[in-house]
Amino acid sequence: MDELVEAFATRKPSGLDQVYALWSRLFVSVARHVISDSALAEDCVHDALVRVWRSPNRFSGNREMLKAYLVTCVRNESLGMVRREGRRDARELKAARLAPVTSVDPPVVDPVEAQRLQGALGRLPEEQRAALTLAYYGNKTHVEIAQELNVPLGTIKSRISMAMRKLQTDLASPGGSRS
Amino acid sequence: MTEHLGEDAELYPLGMLDEDAARDVERHIASCSECAERVGQAQAVAASLAAALPLSTPSPALERRLRESTRPQPTAIRRVNLFPFALAAAFALAFLGLGWQSLVLQQRLKTQDVALVTMVHSHFNHVSMSPESANPVAAKILYARDGSWIYIIADKPGGSLHAIAQTEAGVADLGALGSSGETATLLVHPRDRIRSITLQRAGTDVASARLTY
Repeated sequence: MDELVEAFATRKPSGLDQVYALWSRLFVSVARHVISDSALAEDCVHDALVRVWRSPNRFSGNREMLKAYLVTCVRNESLGMVRREGRRDARELKAARLAPVTSVDPPVVDPVEAQRLQGALGRLPEEQRAALTLAYYGNKTHVEIAQELNVPLGTIKSRISMAMRKLQTDLASPGGSRS
Repeated sequence: MTEHLGEDAELYPLGMLDEDAARDVERHIASCSECAERVGQAQAVAASLAAALPLSTPSPALERRLRESTRPQPTAIRRVNLFPFALAAAFALAFLGLGWQSLVLQQRLKTQDVALVTMVHSHFNHVSMSPESANPVAAKILYARDGSWIYIIADKPGGSLHAIAQTEAGVADLGALGSSGETATLLVHPRDRIRSITLQRAGTDVASARLTY
């Protein structure tokens, strides 16, 4: 098992230190994309990490999987807070109008990865890209996306699912991910 | 084995599922390696999508809070004799539901335990705990609006339950719930205000709730 993952999973302080040093900016960026209030966004990061820390048996895998898992926890915690407390603030509305990759103004979380992502998103069929963009960067529910694009709910789910799977293949491919 | 997840595997890491559906996914992948792998791949894609987000920098306070919250702490909770408080909580719940004003009760309680009187006369909130596992427990928390006491009641606990609290000062181990027949209860007077409580059975989270004041 990866040293960092093992340290985190066994609740060694060094595990949390490394996770924080490597990914705290990523986590806060993910949370603040959902919640503009920085204190609330940090609350979500804090609560998500502490919850995982207290239940280490929920996770097994390598370092990249841990990162992806924690990013999911932070995003879900943030969206959960918004839904619970009805905080759909200006940032969300603004984010909903953003075309994510074409509107990347530095600094972004990871400029190199963002460029790879831009290429991969550009290779998606337009209808899949639109649905995924509204879902992730617009923080919209599939119901809202279905209304906005005027297509059935099931179709939206399928488009997003397909888009995610194509991105996974594309980003995993050394040749395909170059843009 | 139930049916595989299908498209929910990709919707889950995007945060597009409601809380019930998200819990269904978490329950399913705990016992289905095929779907766990598919969700893991989708999580990796979601993490890649985050690369294009505007960069935000955490405040120094976040690191401090995380260190405090994850530092093992001795129990910082003053345990108290449960019985009078349990009795008081039962009274209080009944009276809350009935909307009965406490006038008559005051007369009856004057000669009883001071703690019981204090509790019944407190302004308190209550919250149902959300299930956190495939084998959850039905539980409720009553707590003083000023945070001075917390009373946890679990119905048919199905084993020993342990309460962990997230307080303003960090994580605190509240201790085990005392079992009595079909219920288990715990009353504590926390030193620091509690923000959330998680019940664990054999080290696994089974229910949780956030407290608002």
